[in-house]
Amino acid sequence: MNIAMTMNAGLTYHDPLKADDGYTLICPKYSRDMWLIDICGRIVNRWTMPYLPAGHGILMPSGNLLYGGQFKTHRELGLPSEFSALGGIVMEVDWSGKVQRSVEIPLQHHDFILTDEGHIICPAQQREGMLPDEYASRLVGGLPGTEFEGKVWGDTVVEVDSRGDVVWRWLAFEHLDPEIDFLCPLETRAKWPVINSIWLCRDGDLLLSLRVASEVVKVDRHTGQVVARYGKGEIFHQHDARELENGNILVFDNGNHRPQRGPSYSRVVEFDSVSGKIVWQYTGSPPSDFFSAVAGGSERLQNGNTFICESLTGRLFEVTGDGEIVWEYVSPFQPRELGKCTNFAWRAHRYPFNYDGFKGRDLNPGKFAWENRILGSYGFDPCGCRPKC
Amino acid sequence: MSVARTTVKGLVTYDRYRAYHGSTLLVPETGGMVWLVDMYGQFLHRWEIGGHSGGYAELLPSGNLLCTTFKPESASRKLEGASSRLVELDWNGSVVWEYRDERMHDGFLRTPSGTTLVISECPLPPEVARRVANASGFAGEGDGMSGDMIREISRDHTVLWEWRAHDHLDPEIDLCCPLCPPEQWPHVTGCVEMPNGYILVCFRACDSIVTLEKKTGKVVRRWGHGQLAHPYGPRLLNNGNILLFDSGYHRRGIDMATSRVLEVEPNQGRIVWCYEEDAPQLFYSSTLSNCQRLPNGNTLICEGSTGRVFEVSAKGELIWEFVNHLPQVEEVAPFTSHRKLCAALRYGFDYPGLGARKRKPGDMQSAPGTDSEPYVKRGTSHQNSTSSSVRDSGY
Repeated sequence: MNIAMTMNAGLTYHDPLKADDGYTLICPKYSRDMWLIDICGRIVNRWTMPYLPAGHGILMPSGNLLYGGQFKTHRELGLPSEFSALGGIVMEVDWSGKVQRSVEIPLQHHDFILTDEGHIICPAQQREGMLPDEYASRLVGGLPGTEFEGKVWGDTVVEVDSRGDVVWRWLAFEHLDPEIDFLCPLETRAKWPVINSIWLCRDGDLLLSLRVASEVVKVDRHTGQVVARYGKGEIFHQHDARELENGNILVFDNGNHRPQRGPSYSRVVEFDSVSGKIVWQYTGSPPSDFFSAVAGGSERLQNGNTFICESLTGRLFEVTGDGEIVWEYVSPFQPRELGKCTNFAWRAHRYPFNYDGFKGRDLNPGKFAWENRILGSYGFDPCGCRPKC
Repeated sequence: MSVARTTVKGLVTYDRYRAYHGSTLLVPETGGMVWLVDMYGQFLHRWEIGGHSGGYAELLPSGNLLCTTFKPESASRKLEGASSRLVELDWNGSVVWEYRDERMHDGFLRTPSGTTLVISECPLPPEVARRVANASGFAGEGDGMSGDMIREISRDHTVLWEWRAHDHLDPEIDLCCPLCPPEQWPHVTGCVEMPNGYILVCFRACDSIVTLEKKTGKVVRRWGHGQLAHPYGPRLLNNGNILLFDSGYHRRGIDMATSRVLEVEPNQGRIVWCYEEDAPQLFYSSTLSNCQRLPNGNTLICEGSTGRVFEVSAKGELIWEFVNHLPQVEEVAPFTSHRKLCAALRYGFDYPGLGARKRKPGDMQSAPGTDSEPYVKRGTSHQNSTSSSVRDSGY
């Protein structure tokens, strides 16, 4: 719903006894800024990046921010608007926003992982992944005739070292099945299967969320084989698949193009990694109250609650296992770059108050007195923590 | 529940100088009532319709309310927009006329001659169901698929005219949306009477509008497949064009859920005017919604899923905005909520149906359980409350 235009922004609900205490990193789309807010919704840090985001930023234990930026737009690359999510550069900035190092990865998009060796693993729409004509003719689904220049651009996963040289590459069409991993029938056939999130599991496998194929796959890095599939036929156009502490898989099921009659709804789903069955899910009440057609994110917090980012409405909230909302915040950040006035928050991450990245940092909201006065919480004031500046 | 949404209620925006002044009829999905509110969102009148809303209601020029109702206990199906009774109530809520049909759904049309066009489900011959399933790519033989028919009913319940969709449509041309379960084809959501004996019908499952000749029932023109996505509520405009709510559920080719209101020139199938939000997610309704062109050129749009009614100018500027805040009632089916609206219509102060009834907000007590907030004039200070504050964009 049109929450932003009705001026309901900032912290809208907080139950301090049930909510987890921590800081939230907000990554608004269409804006070069990343914001860190405390649990009361006050801004405590701001990073301004040299590039527009192609995805999100991750705060590392060192306190630096890892960020995926849009190095070249799709127009500069001569590609149609279906490729507007392309990024191309992954950089590390320090607490004040100074770039420490960066790596250009052509046609990188959505997500990225930093490994212990300092390599970046990320999805990239590179030409090596272009589907051979014979394979493309066997690929089921999608709107016929919508290939880009007659070709289906297949996704790849690349691992690059700090210089940007590719040390490992995984091609989607070599390991996925054109009949099992079929496209949604209402999607364009220009891209497949659109990897929109990547996660490194504890056993070294990669967890990929395939948006247009509407499933999550687990890939063995050594052989490249798909070792497990989750959610085909149950989740649709999902984002942010991640492995939890208990080994289960948490996914944000967007629910766009869900094959059912009723109103659109999103949900956060937890799969058992062995059986593939849904062991927990959260839907809104009523379900249509929680819907984000694109983007979206979900995380499990240390107190067992789940932190959810309903991206399209800029609404971030924390729910208990019973589905009770204990913290809710509507992003007031409405950038005016690119002519879009919307508080679309592509992803948000919650970090506990004792996170290593915060050691020695100045988290005083008074540093951002002006921003807090304009953008800070004014709707809900349970603990009288309005900034006195 | 989402806190942010449930705390936004009542009047949000009001441009007093450019709005089309009048009373707004609100048809919530549940609650058993139809409401009339003024430009400030204060309640003027209500009707108890004896059941949940069946999807549409209209204030007739006579001052009576014509609406469809739906009794969940007696329902054999749980379809969205299903209704079992079409009823005409006078201003005090007494039943003046009634028509029962267990299989009615979606909109209806009261013609100037006093007859009513109603839409209802009808059995689909198995060979047609099989052809629909084959052509649209569904597995199986289309078992359990139902068709649609439109009937013209006179006041004494005689069926003056009947049109069965499957007699005149071609399953290979009028394809179903591949993501909708193959339960109903073509799922008529509304019809309008065009000049010269034509009827325009709007299909949800086929994502198209067709013009048919009333005398023969033959389909004369089709438009929309591939461009529309689950349209609702067609209305005939004075210039001969059709106003349509294109809900955008299961939209083809883009991975975004966004609604738009279209003004279509039906003969050539040309989009003449379109309202959509710049940031597409700001305007989206996946359930029954409607739109209405107002005499001053503005358009009233009801975003059903979120309970938001708003008026935009021809240039797309926001003139008036209201969020439904009616009291919580028992849920009917998993997706219904007290906030959802099926339809909203604006009637000017000179509308004969409102007649000599000079209603003031004080004539009616606030609806029980709501805090229908009085308009706060600019210049008065108001507390930081969790309800919406009015944006006065008057001057």
